[in-house]
Amino acid sequence: MSEPLVNVRYMVGDVQQSVDWYVGHLGFQPIGPQSPAFGAVQRGPLRLLLSGKMSSAGRAMPDGREPEPGGWNRLQLVFDDLAAEVARLRRRGVSFRNDILTGPGGSQILAEDPSGNVIELFQPSQIAFATLKAGV
Amino acid sequence: MLRSASIGLALALLAGPGAVSAQTAAANPATINPASVCIRYMVDDVSAAVAFYQGKLGFRLDMQSGPYFAALTKGGVQLLLSPTKGPGGASQPMPDGRRPLPGGWNRIVLYVPDVQGDVERLRKAGVAFRNQVIAGPGGKEIRLEDPSGNPVELFPPG
Repeated sequence: MSEPLVNVRYMVGDVQQSVDWYVGHLGFQPIGPQSPAFGAVQRGPLRLLLSGKMSSAGRAMPDGREPEPGGWNRLQLVFDDLAAEVARLRRRGVSFRNDILTGPGGSQILAEDPSGNVIELFQPSQIAFATLKAGV
Repeated sequence: MLRSASIGLALALLAGPGAVSAQTAAANPATINPASVCIRYMVDDVSAAVAFYQGKLGFRLDMQSGPYFAALTKGGVQLLLSPTKGPGGASQPMPDGRRPLPGGWNRIVLYVPDVQGDVERLRKAGVAFRNQVIAGPGGKEIRLEDPSGNPVELFPPG
């Protein structure tokens, strides 16, 4: 079954470096024409648009604010074995904003791309919710 | 399938760590479809954000765990809303003390056939925009803001 394509835009510093990072570390595939201003990568139904300073998305706002990488809003990628994935990425030199932390819903950690954008790696907890089905 | 995983996450928030285990898709990460798309936004007020994404942008509420978490779906994306403070993992500060906050420039892109029409409709509904419609090589684009100041991009398909 094909799922609808979902588009997410991240602002990045260096488009080529960003494309290489997502392809090399997280299993994305490069798609479409790439330029110093813009590149796109895809992973399943997720299309990640990587916009540099020279893209139309990089233009300043009317009030002068400049788009930039960073912040806390992020893609969430789900893994069966988070610890193993984090270990694999650390060996490859990927940097993380924090260590694995476990909340009521599961474990997560925040990886950073070369521009300082966050990607959340997540593993759901083994907690059941059958008793709460009625609440859905 | 990933949606059920996130619902499980949220329900786990409700249930707390002492909840009884059961055989469900969410309880077994191996059954999660890694191809589904999840995005987490940090928000100041989960209920206000839910009202916005439901009422203004046509998202469907999958579930809400009071002030601590909500999950909504639209067109293949599941949007997870987490507050800056609360018991959830996403609400915790970093080891260096930094707290997760709303804002920034990374965003969901919603494909809408009629950007101008939607902008007019949303402006009338009191939605704030970060910029005017701008034309780039790919088409016209505009960014609106949710009640916490998170950006959402409207873009024409094709």
